[in-house]
Amino acid sequence: MTTPDTGVRVEPGSFRDPANRVFYADGQVLRGLDARAAEDWRALAASEFFPPLLAAGKVCGTEPVAPDRFRAPDGGPWAAVLRHERIPFVSHPYEWSFGMLRDAALLHLEVLRAALAAGFTTKDGSAYNLQWHGARPVFIDVGSFEPARDGEPWAGYRQFCQTLLYPLLLTAHLGVDFQPWLRAQVDGIPPEQMRRLFTGTRRLLPGVPTHVHLHCAMQQRHAAATTSDVRAQLRTAGYSRQLALATVRRIEKLVRRLAPRHAPSHWIDYQRTCTYSAGDRAAKERFVTAALTAGPPPGLVLDLGANDGRYARIAARHAGYVVAVEQDPVVVDELYAALRAEDQRRVLPLVMDLADPSPGGGWRGVERAPFATRARADLVLALAVVHHLAIGRNVPLAQVVDQLAAACAPGGRLVVEFVHPEDPMTRRLLANRPPGLFGDYRPDEFARLLATRCRIERRAELPSGTRTLYQAVVGG
Amino acid sequence: MRHLAYLDAGSGSLIVQAVVGGVAGAAVAAKLYWRRLTARFRRRPSDRP
Repeated sequence: MTTPDTGVRVEPGSFRDPANRVFYADGQVLRGLDARAAEDWRALAASEFFPPLLAAGKVCGTEPVAPDRFRAPDGGPWAAVLRHERIPFVSHPYEWSFGMLRDAALLHLEVLRAALAAGFTTKDGSAYNLQWHGARPVFIDVGSFEPARDGEPWAGYRQFCQTLLYPLLLTAHLGVDFQPWLRAQVDGIPPEQMRRLFTGTRRLLPGVPTHVHLHCAMQQRHAAATTSDVRAQLRTAGYSRQLALATVRRIEKLVRRLAPRHAPSHWIDYQRTCTYSAGDRAAKERFVTAALTAGPPPGLVLDLGANDGRYARIAARHAGYVVAVEQDPVVVDELYAALRAEDQRRVLPLVMDLADPSPGGGWRGVERAPFATRARADLVLALAVVHHLAIGRNVPLAQVVDQLAAACAPGGRLVVEFVHPEDPMTRRLLANRPPGLFGDYRPDEFARLLATRCRIERRAELPSGTRTLYQAVVGG
Repeated sequence: MRHLAYLDAGSGSLIVQAVVGGVAGAAVAAKLYWRRLTARFRRRPSDRP
């Protein structure tokens, strides 16, 4: 959003299906199609189901453009080129909350059901087929659609299980956060791993007997059989499109009834238990609003340590798009549910630990871009977060400031709150550490470090007297 | 050949979908196994030289 593309750049995450490839040129998101994929696209564009999905915003905006200006990786021409609407901020499934992953899974199934009913299918079933417009999921892999062959099951089922259904089962049935599992394995959780987690009476939990145990057993039993033989046998045995639709409906029913079994979270009550006075809160809101309106409306705002999204919502009134990053999956899930209920399209909540941000993943570590390369914001909010990094996680104060400045695009603004060592919240963190360990954690040192990296435009003490807010321009 | 997708769907993952599809699906899976079983016996005489 903030860094316009120049020249042609191939999307590093788009290589698995050689029939089509996403690339960027002139600031546009484009998809080159080979002859077969172009034929599928024409059939798709003329189908009954696709235009309504596009119109409803369930599939990302797509239109054909003249293909002759662009070249395929082998130097040859593309048979067709599509232009997609730009997703405001690309996120990965391991940055989503339970509710987000569930809604993404349900949208994938809804899109597939509509496609099957119209004689189409999707070639795959990956969680990476989905992105977000704020709190609304959107299906982005237009190259995945192809005409269905009668009597064939869904080719994407295994991928759907590994990247969507199994992570949901982990959190719903075991209360285990799925994010680290998805972050560690680009292809998701294999059935063999799931089988070992669901032993004893857990075998009987909804979805587990068939999608985990039977699936795993079938995979092992039929490992030597080719998929074309199995497809032919299933067709002869009477597998029909109605059956494929019934399968999708049953998976939808299962996914819809999955609810998270979260461990208790102390962050969920943070706004209630934290020591803010009403006066502090009002002053902070005024300061943040003034920073948001100090220049032209920011395109992208990053709210680091967003908690219940109070300031992300304020930012959304003045900015193009807000990414609200919070470490606790339970807090993000509550925020997502609230934003979804409001049909908020300009605030994207994400689960991420700022002291352990998403690294690059997949092939060569670039297939899934690290958070640092995606996060170049016009304005960064870092409210009541510095003490958690500097004291809670032992990050040197200078590096905390460096990192906050690095999240800003050149000329971007940083709004940062420094919570003094005397503040009750900081005292609580310091209580468990030896005295003197954080000698440089002082307001004057923080101000000095900030001034060496940014131009401080404004500062304000909150009425409590133990918190200082800064507004600074990075590289300005 | 159009019948090969870019993604390996997994033979077991294809068959299990029939079972997920309910009673009608389970019948298809049973039929598939029955055909495989009977095919073994049917093939035998013709396999002889």
